[in-house]
Amino acid sequence: MFSSSILLQILACAIYGNWWPMLSALMYVVVPMPCMFFGGGSTQFLISRDGGGWIDAAKFLTGASTVGSLAIPIILRHAQMIETGAMLIEFTSFFIFICTVMCFHRASLDDDW
Amino acid sequence: MDLAELWAIFGPGFSGAVFGTGWWFWVDAVVCSSIQVPFVHYLPGIFASLGALMFNCVRKEDIDYSPYDEGEWRLKLWLFIAYVVAFVSLAASVGLLIQDSVVKTGPSTWTGVAGVFQCVFVLISGLMYWTSHSE
Repeated sequence: MFSSSILLQILACAIYGNWWPMLSALMYVVVPMPCMFFGGGSTQFLISRDGGGWIDAAKFLTGASTVGSLAIPIILRHAQMIETGAMLIEFTSFFIFICTVMCFHRASLDDDW
Repeated sequence: MDLAELWAIFGPGFSGAVFGTGWWFWVDAVVCSSIQVPFVHYLPGIFASLGALMFNCVRKEDIDYSPYDEGEWRLKLWLFIAYVVAFVSLAASVGLLIQDSVVKTGPSTWTGVAGVFQCVFVLISGLMYWTSHSE
């Protein structure tokens, strides 16, 4: 699923002949950083209310980074630098990325049991 | 699992999303502006973020609501200053919106609208984080 997400990224660039949508891929790198830094490499903290101040800050940063993945294609489209079709492919890619994260989360929680 | 529990779990993440939305509105306005946006237009967003940070330095469990004791007056003074910063930044963004719509040679109206959106979203995210954050 992650490969198909990256494939859609590259498709959004190749079909329309410009590589600005690859900026969205930068945000994919940023999104998991709060999990690795504050959550000990697990997504457990996202659905828990324990952990105190730093865990809440990590949730905040995860939310802010996630919005960036959606905002970059919208801004590029608004600035007439990419086509509407490329923007929609970017959204599909992001949706598949989120599904990948959810599956990973489910699998790791099952491992905990 | 009741609503307060859900809010405590997902509130910080959602407030982060709202904060990011606010700043990305401003990035969109700056990128799509046909002329250079002067630095004065950046200040309401920066001070709104500062104001949100200021009242998130106070935990809501620490506030004393007793009408009799002198209580934590420094805490309330800090919250009052944070409120003043937030209010002034919001008022400034509205003023800049009006200026952008009236003056033809300046930035477009979308810059002012995005500035107001930025301040509103940043302050709302601060409030959401403050209410959902639990220690």
